[in-house]
Amino acid sequence: MKRLVALLLFVALAAPAAATAHATLKSEFPGFQQELQTSPKFVQLHFDQVVQLPVIDVIDIHGVNHALKAVANGTNVRARVRPLPAGAYTIRWHALSSDGHVVSGVWTFGLRVKAPPPTEAYGASGPTGTENLVRWVYFVALATMIGALGFRLLVLRGLEVPPALEKRMLLLAFIGVLGVLEVGIAAFLLRCEDVLQLPFGKFFYGDLSPISGGTRYGKAFIAMTLGFALVSAFVYLAWLLERTLLLAPALVLSLAFTGGLSLSGHDATDPGSSWKSELADWVHISAVSLWIGGLVALVVAVFPAAPGLRREVLARFSRFATVLVALVLAAGTYLAIVRLPAFHDLWRNGYGQVLLVKICLVAVAVAWGGVHKFFPRARVFRSIAGEMAVGLAVLLVAAILTDSKPPPQPVPSSSTSRSAYAGAVGASSWRK
Amino acid sequence: MEPPSEMVHWFFGTGVLMLGLLMLAEVIVGREVWAQRHWRIYLWPGLAFGLGVLMWPVMTFFTNSAIHMVAHGAWAQALMAMGGAELGLAKGKLKSRWWKLATPVGIGVSGAAFLIHEQNGWYFARSAFLHHLVGWTLIGASVVALTLVFRPRSLAMQTAFALAVIALSVMLFSDRDLAPVFGHLSPLAGAPHR
Repeated sequence: MKRLVALLLFVALAAPAAATAHATLKSEFPGFQQELQTSPKFVQLHFDQVVQLPVIDVIDIHGVNHALKAVANGTNVRARVRPLPAGAYTIRWHALSSDGHVVSGVWTFGLRVKAPPPTEAYGASGPTGTENLVRWVYFVALATMIGALGFRLLVLRGLEVPPALEKRMLLLAFIGVLGVLEVGIAAFLLRCEDVLQLPFGKFFYGDLSPISGGTRYGKAFIAMTLGFALVSAFVYLAWLLERTLLLAPALVLSLAFTGGLSLSGHDATDPGSSWKSELADWVHISAVSLWIGGLVALVVAVFPAAPGLRREVLARFSRFATVLVALVLAAGTYLAIVRLPAFHDLWRNGYGQVLLVKICLVAVAVAWGGVHKFFPRARVFRSIAGEMAVGLAVLLVAAILTDSKPPPQPVPSSSTSRSAYAGAVGASSWRK
Repeated sequence: MEPPSEMVHWFFGTGVLMLGLLMLAEVIVGREVWAQRHWRIYLWPGLAFGLGVLMWPVMTFFTNSAIHMVAHGAWAQALMAMGGAELGLAKGKLKSRWWKLATPVGIGVSGAAFLIHEQNGWYFARSAFLHHLVGWTLIGASVVALTLVFRPRSLAMQTAFALAVIALSVMLFSDRDLAPVFGHLSPLAGAPHR
């Protein structure tokens, strides 16, 4: 928790410490996640400027270092390596940059086996409780952003929206997108910190490029950060120019870039994944965000700011939510079938147990919503706030589920290609 | 694929230079004349906001260190916040003059971060020299911007602020030994990098 607070403080306070001058790794041998056929005789790093006092470790899956002493020669650093058996290896390096900062990094390669992603490098720890918490806050922010945008454009369409409600909807969308950006950065840094395994001070000079450019998770982080930054600009311009129409590209971009989660998660990387599981995951996340985010918009914006519209808006949202819940259930059922090889995995496997809790919470939220739809009452504010709270609990369980490892799929007898790290790193499934 | 980092700094140096020149032009002709063409009042805040949006790709694509990533992300947000608040004030969407504090706060936090981050002395290396110089320039600029919140018509303060922004652009142009300005600073500032 202290790490998280320190990270968030740093994100908030550290403005442009444009650390332009410390050494940057420009090329390396073996390459990031390269699969070699013969044992490398040396490891070489090439920097953009002179470095000193280098250290290079070539570590196998048992933690044994196979590298000899590293030697710096101008912008190059080289360490000879003992003959290696086939397997997956992690390279960790440190060097003193000419500006006095110690720069560090990690990457992986495979010798006659597929190289694991750097998120599964030797020494990298799996997702922690802090990461679960951060992911939950991220999901809440995502739902708030998408829910507010969807609510304004789809549920309130054609209604005379009072200025106070308009302001609250825009504020909600802006808080959501700001949260997605900030928490997304914090989550990425926490993941990188787990991989680099450096003390806090040194971590800030750690090279993140193997993770940001060499993993699905890193690429998704880049795309989503850029997309959501654009969303923030559209929401701001919609407020400044008083053009609700500008929220349309914001919603489209939000939904499109939410796909980054689906393209880097279990449903894209685990065995049994396909474009269908990726699509189903995207539909699932989008529909849940519109549904729970819509509940947040009802409680935080519509009820306090537009009392005259409550009945009409509630009826509209009920119809909208019915479609969303149908999508959530259809996509969720499909994904459960893909992820769980056997029905009894639901109660025998840890992933299945978390999924079971999520299913129960969704059932409560759906039943609660059904009461609002079929038994409308004049005073429903507290009841809808309760439904929203259950929705937020669903997101918490979803965050834990995302960081959990699904049960292994039955391996077809003809399948021989697998990572040498499979099963060696515990539950670090977040992500390739 | 990625351009060299000095190219990116020179690109932003150009943007910051334009920002400073626009501010200076407003000071020279006076606010009343400047506002006769209504679109002019949106020029520098709009440019600052746009530079903030363009800073996000720098943050995401240049991840050679965590501090680099965090720093540019924070700078992107500071620029967007500064530009956004000033645009809101110019458009009349924001009424309170306290929104003007977005500029000194953004610049001040940026300067403080430069100084806190740099643990070496001025002459340890070229980068250390620039970090100290940029940090103190930004701290000075934030004090000037803060004064402008309370004395918005002070010609001296307006001029000082515009000149500080122009000075910052010169520092961005000189961030590497290949720089068009200054070249390598001094043998005291470490060996040339390239």
